[in-house]
Amino acid sequence: MDLVTIMRRSELFRGLSDDQLQRLTSISTSMVYHRGEVIFEQGTIGDRMYIIAQGQVEVRVHDRTSGEGTTAVYLGQGQVIGEMALIDSGRRSATLVAFGDNTTLYSIPKDEFTALCQQDTAIGYIMMRNLALDLSFKMRHHDNHLSGQ
Amino acid sequence: MIYKVSYVVIGGDYPGGIKNEIERPKPGDIVQIGPNEFEVVEVHEVIPPRDDFSFLHATVKPIKLLSEPTL
Repeated sequence: MDLVTIMRRSELFRGLSDDQLQRLTSISTSMVYHRGEVIFEQGTIGDRMYIIAQGQVEVRVHDRTSGEGTTAVYLGQGQVIGEMALIDSGRRSATLVAFGDNTTLYSIPKDEFTALCQQDTAIGYIMMRNLALDLSFKMRHHDNHLSGQ
Repeated sequence: MIYKVSYVVIGGDYPGGIKNEIERPKPGDIVQIGPNEFEVVEVHEVIPPRDDFSFLHATVKPIKLLSEPTL
């Protein structure tokens, strides 16, 4: 499946024109991970976000004192990960691990994304709106998980 | 329509998942989340749809568990 098709199936890119999607694909890089491979580690500085094109990714949160890891959630195709780094430039809040072989992700580097948004502010507005919706959805998922229903 | 689905395991003992599906899940469907298999129990809309995207919450119950509980 090509990247534009994947983007069309991810709400992060909802509202973007074909031309805007093409500009985003030009700054995206695909990466393939195998089962158990770490994509990024909690506490490291994030410089890019990812879109899951194929497979599932385990989001693992480590206790700061014991170091023990707990699986928080599994994310599948079309999900965005590492997006907080593009917004707040903070450290990664969790460790990401590929769950299966041939887990395929596309990455968008922060600096190139910021430059693109400055060139075309409509892309920036649409994607920031969609990122806010994605974060809201994840928070609702987390709240429902905590309440056990 | 693309269905963005938040799968939450009843009881909260196992991690759920978030996936984009091309078919709306319905009670009785089987879904794989990480190493575990679950049956969909209930599905409802979380927030109103936007364009071609629908946002759903699905509760699921375990069928086949291969991981340890998180709590």
